[in-house]
Amino acid sequence: MKSAFYVTIALCTLIFSRVSAQEEIKLKGKELFGDLQARQIGPALMSGRINDLEGHPKNNRVIYAGAAGGGVWKSFDGGVTFKSIFDEHPQSIGVISIDPKDPDNTIWVGTGETWTRNSVSIGDGLFQSTDGGNNWKKVGFNKSERISSIAISPSSQDIYVGVLGALWSDSEERGVYKSPDGGKTWERILYIDQKTGCSDLVTDPKDPNILYASMWEFRRTPWSFNSGGQNSALYKSTDGGKTWDKIHNGFPSGKLGRIAVAVAPSDPNILYTVLETEQAKNNGLYRSDDAGKSWQHLNNDFGLVVRPFYFSRLVIDPKNPDVVVKGGLFGSISRDGGKTFKNLGNMHADIHDILFDINDSDRMYVGTDGGVYRSYNGGTTMEMVTNLPISQFYHISVDDNEPYNIYGGLQDNGSWYGPSSSPGGIEARDWNSIGYGDGFRVLKHPTKNIIYSEMQGAENVWRYDVDRNKNKTIQPLPVKGDPKLRFNWNAPMAISVHQPDRFYMGSQFLHKSEDMGDTWVKISPDLTTNDPAKQTQEESGGLSKDNSGAENHTTIFTIAESPIDEQVIWVGTDDGNVQVTQNGGKSWTNTITNIQGLPKNTWCYHIEASNFNKGTAYAVFEGHSTGDFNTYVYKTTDFGKTWKSIITDEIDGFARNIQEDYENENLLFLGTEFGLYITINGGLSWSKFTNNVPAVAIHHIELHKKTNDLILGTHGRGIIIIDDISPLRQLSQEVLQKNVHFFDSKPTIMVEESGFGGGSTETQFIGPNPSKSARIVYYLKKRHTFGKMTMEIQDSEGNQVIELTPGKSKGINIVTWNYRTKQPKVAKGKTFTYGGFTSPRVQAGTYKVVIIKGKDTYETELVLVNDPTSLLTDADRKVKYDVTMKLYDMSEDLAYTVYEMDEWVTRAENLLKEDAKSKKVAEPVIKLLNDLKDTMVITKGDNYVGAAEPQLREKLSDLYSKIAAGFEKPSASEMDNLKLIEERFNKAKADFKKIKEKQISKMTAYIEKGNLKPITIKSKDDFLSE
Amino acid sequence: MMLALFFVASWAQAQTADEIITNYFENTGGYENWGALKGVKMNFKVNQGGMEIPVEVVQLSDGKQYTKVSLQGNNFMQGVYDGNVLWNTNFQTMKAEKADAETTANHKLNTNDFPQDLYDYKKKGYKLELVGNETVEGTETFKLKLVKEPVTVDGEKVEDVVYYFFDKENFVPIAQESEVVSGPQKGVISHITFSDYQEVEGLYFPFSISQGVKDGPSQPITVDAIEVNPEIDESEFAFPEGE
Repeated sequence: MKSAFYVTIALCTLIFSRVSAQEEIKLKGKELFGDLQARQIGPALMSGRINDLEGHPKNNRVIYAGAAGGGVWKSFDGGVTFKSIFDEHPQSIGVISIDPKDPDNTIWVGTGETWTRNSVSIGDGLFQSTDGGNNWKKVGFNKSERISSIAISPSSQDIYVGVLGALWSDSEERGVYKSPDGGKTWERILYIDQKTGCSDLVTDPKDPNILYASMWEFRRTPWSFNSGGQNSALYKSTDGGKTWDKIHNGFPSGKLGRIAVAVAPSDPNILYTVLETEQAKNNGLYRSDDAGKSWQHLNNDFGLVVRPFYFSRLVIDPKNPDVVVKGGLFGSISRDGGKTFKNLGNMHADIHDILFDINDSDRMYVGTDGGVYRSYNGGTTMEMVTNLPISQFYHISVDDNEPYNIYGGLQDNGSWYGPSSSPGGIEARDWNSIGYGDGFRVLKHPTKNIIYSEMQGAENVWRYDVDRNKNKTIQPLPVKGDPKLRFNWNAPMAISVHQPDRFYMGSQFLHKSEDMGDTWVKISPDLTTNDPAKQTQEESGGLSKDNSGAENHTTIFTIAESPIDEQVIWVGTDDGNVQVTQNGGKSWTNTITNIQGLPKNTWCYHIEASNFNKGTAYAVFEGHSTGDFNTYVYKTTDFGKTWKSIITDEIDGFARNIQEDYENENLLFLGTEFGLYITINGGLSWSKFTNNVPAVAIHHIELHKKTNDLILGTHGRGIIIIDDISPLRQLSQEVLQKNVHFFDSKPTIMVEESGFGGGSTETQFIGPNPSKSARIVYYLKKRHTFGKMTMEIQDSEGNQVIELTPGKSKGINIVTWNYRTKQPKVAKGKTFTYGGFTSPRVQAGTYKVVIIKGKDTYETELVLVNDPTSLLTDADRKVKYDVTMKLYDMSEDLAYTVYEMDEWVTRAENLLKEDAKSKKVAEPVIKLLNDLKDTMVITKGDNYVGAAEPQLREKLSDLYSKIAAGFEKPSASEMDNLKLIEERFNKAKADFKKIKEKQISKMTAYIEKGNLKPITIKSKDDFLSE
Repeated sequence: MMLALFFVASWAQAQTADEIITNYFENTGGYENWGALKGVKMNFKVNQGGMEIPVEVVQLSDGKQYTKVSLQGNNFMQGVYDGNVLWNTNFQTMKAEKADAETTANHKLNTNDFPQDLYDYKKKGYKLELVGNETVEGTETFKLKLVKEPVTVDGEKVEDVVYYFFDKENFVPIAQESEVVSGPQKGVISHITFSDYQEVEGLYFPFSISQGVKDGPSQPITVDAIEVNPEIDESEFAFPEGE
């Protein structure tokens, strides 16, 4: 009995597990998302921060740019245009280095930016490409966080890597590392302590065993920065890194900060270094003429000492050791060996790297907070590269215009808004400036043409009246009894869906205005921890004071009013509180202690108030600025009484933002430091979305209510849009089990637009537009590889309208149809008739989509509707359609007539060859038909300025195209023109008929009589269906 | 059953590049039959915004080739190679023009790539390497790297590399990638997918090809007919002198 029971259990288990193994389909990433592709719309006009530039040592056409948050870009044309080559890997770049032994192919990238401002991202180690950047493999340094330098021996397999290391925490993975075997094995050869990393590592250009390494003691916290300490130092090794000596002869004593070092490529005895010291008078540039044995202090001008943590790059002209350039606020160049400096030419401020052309030192490239600049006159005139869409958005928002606009603020590049679609693509000139300084949140008033924007620390909050071109600053000001208002560098603002004029801002208090910022009321007590130890920003910076406001702390960071109930407001603070009010601010509850597993004081970056339930919210926390890179997202359904983590280990990178779908509450979108993640089951499992979304830090996500577009505000790759994510709402196990599944789609509006655009130059970035075509979206359980698979559109009577080529991918496929049928067949002439290339649109209605896959047929319906903004009434539209199709038919009629005539001419010409006596009957046919044809189609000339006078075919197809491509009722003038063309066509047909009856008839009789080869002319149907 | 699973897994892991392509040629008609192929003629239509354009492509084993594009009843010859001259019809003047010397020289290097560049790659001095696995078209594939003779671009020698993605299940290539090496698109990765493999006289050809750029738009074509060993008049390839 017992054993029988066990057998039954075992069988049940077996059956159950087999069934569930068959049933459960878990698709990830590319297997699932298929054709659902993102589009990167930039913008590139303000570009973004560059960390490092590198040139090919032998080919000055090839240049690489490493963006702080936007990956690696390669230029093949001497810096005129750049292409992204590192999309799949972390986009925060420290350094790029090219192997001088194999410069076309072997490239190394150290990730993790090294100019350690408050907003820096993190890297993920060292990468190598051996095919010029098309493919990359990770080499290691998983915990390096940021790599500052890579030095590759020109003669051996030695590679040296300088690891700056963790910015916000202690770390062992710092210092100088050496690989003796081209990167296979690594040994740490210079290490100071857990706080001190290698900020610069250079080798002697003549002797690769001579190394110079600068070591830097530094640390950030969310509320402070420290540069400098007893351990910062400059070292030299002459034995390939076995032993190191400090080379400080001529340096002041005491603590040092960040140290830059450079060796002159043309004279290895000449070195420059820039020091950050305890006394301002000792800061700045030092030079050595004896390879570091002794140093002489030359200069402490502003440009040489400004913000060492942000600007510590020294670059020496490859040909002239006395020409030295230093990064800085404006960049400084000396042509007298470092004694005196002048600023580089006008360009975006904040210069991080400089690259000289290998052949001509007048040609220079400069990496700034606003992209790459080129100079052809030694740095005096600077020209911006206009196709690097590496803009760094902090936040984005959208409006409900058609097409909708996207608003956002950027690191050191102000605030902007631009359209999601524009004639000719989204060009630089489509973007509008809406704020200065560092830009953060930008919000459009829900009903008025007014935009709110801000700069760092809410120093200015602008209310901009777009129609009147007037702005007013409206930031909350302290009133009697107030303590100092503490605004975050990236100060929160919010609008209300309930009260259009309502506007919120957060300092340590929540401020509310009901009149668009003219009157402010505090509706909360201090909602932060108000920890005084975290409010000492005046002392921040270390050896060089740096109180920019970037470290302001114990502030409110995110505000969310419930879309369901305006009395429910959520507030998250940078010091880890999550506060909620259910009575419009009368009382507040701090719910943070209800969250399990979250380290204390972890920054609450975003709260998403749910669209489904007023007690439901999502809170996203991130602790990167304490060195905690874990992902923290919690959901509450009871106003914060309980919180549940919705994170799985499928997610990589700390998260800053989550977006809930408006229709399916289990569909969520999460932005992390390394890309976009999507769950369709409320967070039980997550899948990374990669189709044209790089591994970039996604700071903010919006879902557009009308279009269902998912809009990503990235910190390094601009705005990225996934058009219409609605198919994801319909994904379920039931769908995934089907061999073919069509997703429901809403009726397609046949957009009527015909504007101008597209005047950008070829070197400017243009963001792609969304497709306005109808989308046929379906899922394939398995890729279709063998046998035939077709797709066609049929009208309501089952007639084929057009054939389309279906996608064959496993997962989601998207096929677009521009609601056009085939172009008309036009008469054969000598040249093109351009109007004949126009395909007419079909009429609004329901169409059938038919997929035939092997023996199986799958069908769905597709609905097309007319554009509600159309100028056409139903009656007008019918006239337009009828006239279009009349001209279409006339065009095909003419095509057949000309074909018939050509056949007769050919037969007549052959007849002449076959039978000399036929001259009398054949020649008149040839002559009369050719003369007639000359009036019907162009029979000479070319397709450019050698064009002949247009004839009937050209006039007909021009009118056809004019009416078919337009969006108005045919005008009186067009109808008159049609009459003229019809008359001419009728006359031509009558003339042909006459010739047929007389001359052709004679020739036919002659052929028949002589028993010669008869003529065969295709039927019109056969001719047209060819 | 466990044993069988084990074998399948280890067999899949032990694949080498040579095994993959040998398998492919054998399964799609036989290595020798592919080698005996003298030429291919392919007819398809390109659909551009509702405009259907008929195209005929011919490739012969001796390197001769043409693409005939039919527009409003007139034929435009493109990429025509007669063994010596590479030429195109200018769409404006409608006259034949020779391709520039560098393009022609690069093209000549590819004339040994019939029926496919992978075929007999060793004899041609090419290098083939299995570089890894990748999910392409939602499908697990082997990624193979083929390095051909270097080409010359704007005076510089550049490696000619093609990546093939072979479906792990059935050993046919379902995608191909290569870096665009010349022109303003230089550096962009061209991405081509293959499907609808069907038999023509014992050999399997993809009847659906979609050509575009990686992570960007693509242009699909559906092949109407493929003819093997077609009879083509030599004059079709000849550059029309004195036009």
